[in-house]
Amino acid sequence: MENLVIQTEKLSEWVNEVIKKNKVFAPVKETDFSNFKIIDDYSEIDFTYLLPRVPAKKILFKQTETLFLFTPGSKGSVQTKEISDEKLVVFSLRTCDAKTFSILDPVFLGDYADPFYKSRRERSILIGLSCNKPNVNCFCTSFGDSPASSDYVDILLTDLDGKHLVEVVTERGKKFIDNYKKFFTSASKEDLDSKKKVEEQAIKGITRTMKLEGIPEKLDKMFEHPIWYENAMKCIGCGTCTFVCPTCHCFDMQDESTLREGARVRVWDYCMNPEYTHHASGHNPRPARMNRVRNRIFHKFNYYPINDNIVGCTGCGRCIDYCSVNIDVIDIINKIGEAES
Amino acid sequence: MTKNSEGTFEIQNPYQPLLAKVVKITNEVDGARAIKTYKLVFQDEETKINFSFIPGQFVMVSVFGKGESTFAISSSSTQKDYIEISVMKHGKNTAALHELEEGDIVGVRGPYGNTFDVKGWEGKNIILIGGGIGQAPLRSVLNYILDNRDKYGTLDAIYGARTSSDICYKEEFAELEKRDDVNVHLSIDVEEEGWNNYVGFVPNNLMEVKPSSENAIAITCGPPIMIEYVIQNLLKLGFTEKQIYTTLEMRMKCGIGICGRCNIGNLYVCKDGPVFSYEQLKGLQGDM
Amino acid sequence: MVDKELLVKTAKKIVSREDVKYVVGYKQGTYGFVISPSFAYTPEDVDNFIYNPLCKKNLTVYPILEEKLPLRREEEEDKRKIGIVVKGCDSRALVQIIQEKGLTREDLVIIGIPCKGVIDLKKIEKRFPNQTEAVNVVETDNAEYILNISGAVQHIPKEELLSEVCKSCEYPNPTIYDFLIGEKIEVGEVPEYSGLKNLDETPLEDRWAYWEKHFQNCIRCYACREACPLCYCKTCMADMLEPQWIRRSVNLSENTAWNIMRAFHLAGRCISCGECESVCPVNIPLMELNKKLEKDVKEMFKYNAGLDTKEKTLFGTFNPDDPEEFIM
Repeated sequence: MENLVIQTEKLSEWVNEVIKKNKVFAPVKETDFSNFKIIDDYSEIDFTYLLPRVPAKKILFKQTETLFLFTPGSKGSVQTKEISDEKLVVFSLRTCDAKTFSILDPVFLGDYADPFYKSRRERSILIGLSCNKPNVNCFCTSFGDSPASSDYVDILLTDLDGKHLVEVVTERGKKFIDNYKKFFTSASKEDLDSKKKVEEQAIKGITRTMKLEGIPEKLDKMFEHPIWYENAMKCIGCGTCTFVCPTCHCFDMQDESTLREGARVRVWDYCMNPEYTHHASGHNPRPARMNRVRNRIFHKFNYYPINDNIVGCTGCGRCIDYCSVNIDVIDIINKIGEAES
Repeated sequence: MTKNSEGTFEIQNPYQPLLAKVVKITNEVDGARAIKTYKLVFQDEETKINFSFIPGQFVMVSVFGKGESTFAISSSSTQKDYIEISVMKHGKNTAALHELEEGDIVGVRGPYGNTFDVKGWEGKNIILIGGGIGQAPLRSVLNYILDNRDKYGTLDAIYGARTSSDICYKEEFAELEKRDDVNVHLSIDVEEEGWNNYVGFVPNNLMEVKPSSENAIAITCGPPIMIEYVIQNLLKLGFTEKQIYTTLEMRMKCGIGICGRCNIGNLYVCKDGPVFSYEQLKGLQGDM
Repeated sequence: MVDKELLVKTAKKIVSREDVKYVVGYKQGTYGFVISPSFAYTPEDVDNFIYNPLCKKNLTVYPILEEKLPLRREEEEDKRKIGIVVKGCDSRALVQIIQEKGLTREDLVIIGIPCKGVIDLKKIEKRFPNQTEAVNVVETDNAEYILNISGAVQHIPKEELLSEVCKSCEYPNPTIYDFLIGEKIEVGEVPEYSGLKNLDETPLEDRWAYWEKHFQNCIRCYACREACPLCYCKTCMADMLEPQWIRRSVNLSENTAWNIMRAFHLAGRCISCGECESVCPVNIPLMELNKKLEKDVKEMFKYNAGLDTKEKTLFGTFNPDDPEEFIM
């Protein structure tokens, strides 16, 4: 749509200007890793990060959300939870985190729109930052994406050493950037070429590949396959893979109340927990880790493609990074590709 | 949906229930697995008039502070101004529901899910095969047909429970037995003094009743193992996969296809079900 | 250096037995420094077993994890034993579970490995990031690790990569085993756990700020619980709804309740394998809590968990002389 440039020393001025009128989320150093947090000043941003530990889904789909308020008890009443109209800016998103929302949109904006997600989605500007040094388990390229992709953001920044290329991708991004014209100049052809170099370099840094071709269809024939048992034997049933996953969206709803006031909250839930599907009657349709591990992989690589025509994985590699027993989704999918169905 | 002070509608929050008053509680079954039926009337006049559903659909019912659970609507859509649900006590929220008294307030969301094709089944002979609390959604169909009796062929209600005291809707079955436009076939699992009907499991009773598959639709609901054998027996009786329907149960939270837990394969029981034909069910690959 | 051949030979012998279902050991993971648990059902499966200083994972979580699904008609319960490779700390977990009657000795065939300490994966990955290819690590006799990274050989002082818990390990030798691979290690004086000073020495407000910062990051994935061989309650109190001890809301208050509660439930039971801390995706120093309780238990009750299956558990015994100053 429009290609601009901002001198890197101006970046702080611009972002601080943005902070005045928007709630800005950016990666902030926690203890020894980064997470998306609301920042009050540009200086809080951690640019040494590769990926925030908890994915950006948490900004639009919060881990804990109050759905409505109520007066507890058998004479109860309900009170609507007001939804804020604050403008949100998610700053410095990587491709894999930005793609999250393309995958979650069909879920949260389907037949019944989730008002919390919908509202935040409509109120937020996604500003990407090209990834220039991918991690060992990064594999966004396996989905045809690039670490410097502008496909899923409103605005994409690329660090060109001394200046940042600013690609304005969407109408929404254009309207936003027009408020801050003074910080930007037009990009030259050299700038775009430099970006290409950065991108190529980053792509070269991605060493692992998931061979996806034909996988969704092949899985149809692999529901009963030893590979699920093999991987499930290792699984310890924690929720790490789901909580650090940019596309896992399952949640639980619980009433939390005192004697006088209460709220129904929703919290991220994880399908690796046997409780997750446990019926009150005692029956459990997914009683074993095998059922649960299989369901998670099928959900991403078979059910998602069938229902929403998209693979439910962005290639961020977090589930591989933080799995303590080396359940490796790249390895699983590649083995499925090689296996006899 | 709620109107704000300016009279415009606010964003609809599908998680927020509407208030309904418990106007009548019927004790169906006592004991450890007690069952009660609740007649609920929406507090808001507009909803009371506009709330419409089709047999097969379900609602999410809350006791505020305790939680929310899924229940098949057990009344018929022909019965206006109220809905009924039947609740077996076995969790935190259902226990709280069992504590309620007439006049108390609950939250209701819905109706959700797909429906029995009651319109499409007009002119057909209907066989309902229920077990335990699984009769709840079938009761909705049963009453719907009785209220539109001339539009359907013969009507058979096969129903069984563990013991005679576990039978749900006892009085209603007793009333039905007096009618000649519906054939009631009750059973209990083990011999009991004073029981004059069939003794044995529901699938066996089905073979005793031997309904004809011609121009018929069979709908079954009950414990998973019962459903499995009922379907096997229906096939033996010559029913095709398209003539057999069931309604499935899965743990649900949102009821609207977002929270993720009720899937069987790529389908969500809450929005793609809960009603499935055996033809669909057979093709499903997933954990049930 | 653990004799891999002997390990494989022993595991093969065990897995060949009719009364053994499988042997769980370690194999090379799919990338870099990562090690994977390996389940061997046949002698051939054992061929991929390895053992090196990267084999940190405490495998004793597995015997209890296995689901006991309802048996189908005419199906018999599989009562075969599970073979398992353990280090000193891991073996103490087994002893503790056996004391608590979570498992019986007969359930297990134990391959013990005297352990000189294992590498902290977080440390080595930080030092040598982005390793796609499997990296082999060897420990020398003079407290060095030799790493072969894409042809380049690196000598790293052991101290720099060793897991913190290992530095204060008092029980490197398995306390229970059927087969021992290698010579027992002599134990000298061990230093106090380095993280203890955080709880013992920092002023109250700083201590609170420190833990607040960490607990705020907790995402309540319960990896700590699931990875812990001693967190095996059928229903964890964190999952209970009636009464609900801990709310599901993820916030500082509930996160603190969860982490503190878990630490207390492990008092006199934790065997210092450090698994909870190493699996934590948000790097909460959980061992500082566990070690503090371990120290208190040791001082007050002269008790060490997981040493002898015949011993009673700390909370399974009462002595009129038990200290009670800590009871308010």
